[in-house]
Amino acid sequence: MSTTEQQTTEVLAAESVLTPPMEAPTDEERQTLWETFHEIIYELLQYRDLLFQLTLRDIRIRYKQAVMGVGWAIFMPMLIVAAGFVVRYAIAHMAKSELNWGDFAAMGIKALPWAFFVGAIGFATTSLTSNINLVTKIYFPRAVLPLSAVLAQAFDTAIGAAAIAALLFFLEIRFSLQTLWAIPLLVLLFLFTVGMAFFVSCANLFFRDVKYIVQVLLTFGIFFTPVFYEPSNFGPWGCHLMMLNPLAPLLEGSRLAIVEHHNLFHSIVLTSSGGLPIIAWHPAYLVYAACWAVVGCLGAWLLFHKLQFLYAEYI
Amino acid sequence: MSDTTIEVCHAWKKFRHGDVHDSLRDLVPALAHRLIGHGRKRTDLAKGEFWALKDISFQLKRGEIVGIIGPNGAGKSTILKILSRILRPNSGRVRVDGRLSALIEVGAGFHPDLNGRENIYLNGTILGMKKAEIDRKFDEIVAFAEIEKFLYTPVKRYSSGMYVRLAFAVAAHLEPEIFLVDEVLAVGDARFQKKCLNKMQDVGQEGRTVIFVSHNMPAITRLCKRAILLDQGRILQDGPPHQLVKAYLSSSLSTTGAREWFDPAAAPGGEVARLRTLRLRAEDGQVAESVDIRRPILIQMEYDVLKSGYILMPYHHLYNEQGVFLFSAHDLDPTWRCRPRPVGRWVSTVQIPGNLLNEGTLFVSSGLMTLDPTIPQFHVRDVMVFQVIESLDGDSTRGGWAGPMGGVVRPLLKWTTRVTADTDEAAALAARKGDNETNI
Repeated sequence: MSTTEQQTTEVLAAESVLTPPMEAPTDEERQTLWETFHEIIYELLQYRDLLFQLTLRDIRIRYKQAVMGVGWAIFMPMLIVAAGFVVRYAIAHMAKSELNWGDFAAMGIKALPWAFFVGAIGFATTSLTSNINLVTKIYFPRAVLPLSAVLAQAFDTAIGAAAIAALLFFLEIRFSLQTLWAIPLLVLLFLFTVGMAFFVSCANLFFRDVKYIVQVLLTFGIFFTPVFYEPSNFGPWGCHLMMLNPLAPLLEGSRLAIVEHHNLFHSIVLTSSGGLPIIAWHPAYLVYAACWAVVGCLGAWLLFHKLQFLYAEYI
Repeated sequence: MSDTTIEVCHAWKKFRHGDVHDSLRDLVPALAHRLIGHGRKRTDLAKGEFWALKDISFQLKRGEIVGIIGPNGAGKSTILKILSRILRPNSGRVRVDGRLSALIEVGAGFHPDLNGRENIYLNGTILGMKKAEIDRKFDEIVAFAEIEKFLYTPVKRYSSGMYVRLAFAVAAHLEPEIFLVDEVLAVGDARFQKKCLNKMQDVGQEGRTVIFVSHNMPAITRLCKRAILLDQGRILQDGPPHQLVKAYLSSSLSTTGAREWFDPAAAPGGEVARLRTLRLRAEDGQVAESVDIRRPILIQMEYDVLKSGYILMPYHHLYNEQGVFLFSAHDLDPTWRCRPRPVGRWVSTVQIPGNLLNEGTLFVSSGLMTLDPTIPQFHVRDVMVFQVIESLDGDSTRGGWAGPMGGVVRPLLKWTTRVTADTDEAAALAARKGDNETNI
């Protein structure tokens, strides 16, 4: 055997010794679900100042050197209402019926949460990938990035809500006890949005084409979500189908509670031309949406947390 | 609480070459397997993967300052990322006991449109500070960064120096128990670098544990009491920094007193000239790594001139172990000074006299440039290291003093000392002088 050959075998032998041992899972991997959520919440509390600062950053950047200023916050919902007006006008013209101011208020009430959802998801999708140097260089709970995107959008929505409140006052839609339904509905909407934000930001980190898919879905989503119309317009089956969209019960619920002063614990049954009853509202719709919001949020957060140690490597 | 703050046990970490995933179709099943816990074992190496860290184990005690050195790609930054929980090792255990801050990049999270004040808060919280803590240290941070006048200017209008100063000022005011620092001192002007080094020394003296990754060998030898030498993901040595720095600098060759580049493709060089060898020689011509403080040492540079007609100037820069730039030595040989040189192999030798340098570790950076037009051909940092040794023989510059001799140089100066008057006369002189002064 020549010297070089000897050396090669020696090197190979050395390399084969150098393989990691088989390992029992570490404590971290044996965590129960409860412990994981405890860790998630604890970390987020530890970094609450960071969450606040990042939200502040997103808001400041949006309004710095911007011509529209605060007007931007009401521009988007206004545009949606205007688009809705055009669509509804065309429908009313064909059906030879008339548009009333109540429809206008209803569209305003539904346009605002929709604008929140679209804006929040739009910003959240790229929240991880646009902060690449933070994700690869510094440790902090990554959840603060999509969360701050959602919170910054919530700030915009709060300004928009003030404008909508003024509009409702002008349209003589008064406050009633049922208006308070808006609070749980907004909480559910927030949870659902947060869940989606976790999911899409994480997905976009691994697959960069996700943001284009999300963009397309958000653009056309308005046609599959009852913003311009009511689900009951679609007949008995169409209404059920429409309500499968988790956002539909939330939007429709807020319209019923605020504009119609309807108690959401009671269902509304209309009769269709075919004789079948149309269940325009049922408390089960709300339960369904609440399940989506809560389970979706917790599940997406868990997935986001479990994968976060891969982010620096795969981004 | 135990005395050990950081414990790494048999950590392994693998990375992939090139793109980490090619399509959605490949990754979804892999990810699913991973989540369920089946599929390929995490400790197997797939095609295109390599071990960035191999069986890394070390422990750090509270208050230790440790330098990590090694060539590019040795795994230095990966260790920091694993300690700071940015990455998780594929195998092995990492335990960190105490609040940890990692300074892998200064100014991470700075937003160009936000002003200095807003960025201090943003960057501070990103690095793990609480808002109340920043409120408390705010004035100190601003003073350290020297940006008082520009607090309300967006940082995009800052000069790069101001930007870096602000970024480092925020980082320097972290109060972690464990501080990881990666190569950040390579920025900023010399004065500010010095300020940062001093700040880091203070950090060490406050009983904090510091891990310091750098290519700045003088800084390592000055700041650290212990160093870890890495190569290709493995720990080669763990010990006192003086030895390791020498070991590291000599890892590609037999001695730190000579560096050779026989492969022209790998040699530093430009269009006009290419470095071939660098050697430190004692008076007798032997390659040397240490020299008696009284004896001269020769630095010999061998290089190929590839294009005729250029005026060449080889030079050496000498640094001491504190990183102080001692002096620059330029080729002064009258034969070829300011004269265009023909193609060929050249040797330039400079003699550094004895009784000039103080004892300690000296770092040589060597380079060559053309003059008129000035084009740097090569410049190799910390290319050679040598020790100046004092053997307390009596005829050195000590003058019988056995304690430490400060200063960056130790010249042998001519002294004359003689008696000018006897004691009585001196007393009388002093008295008369005192009278004169009172009269005035």
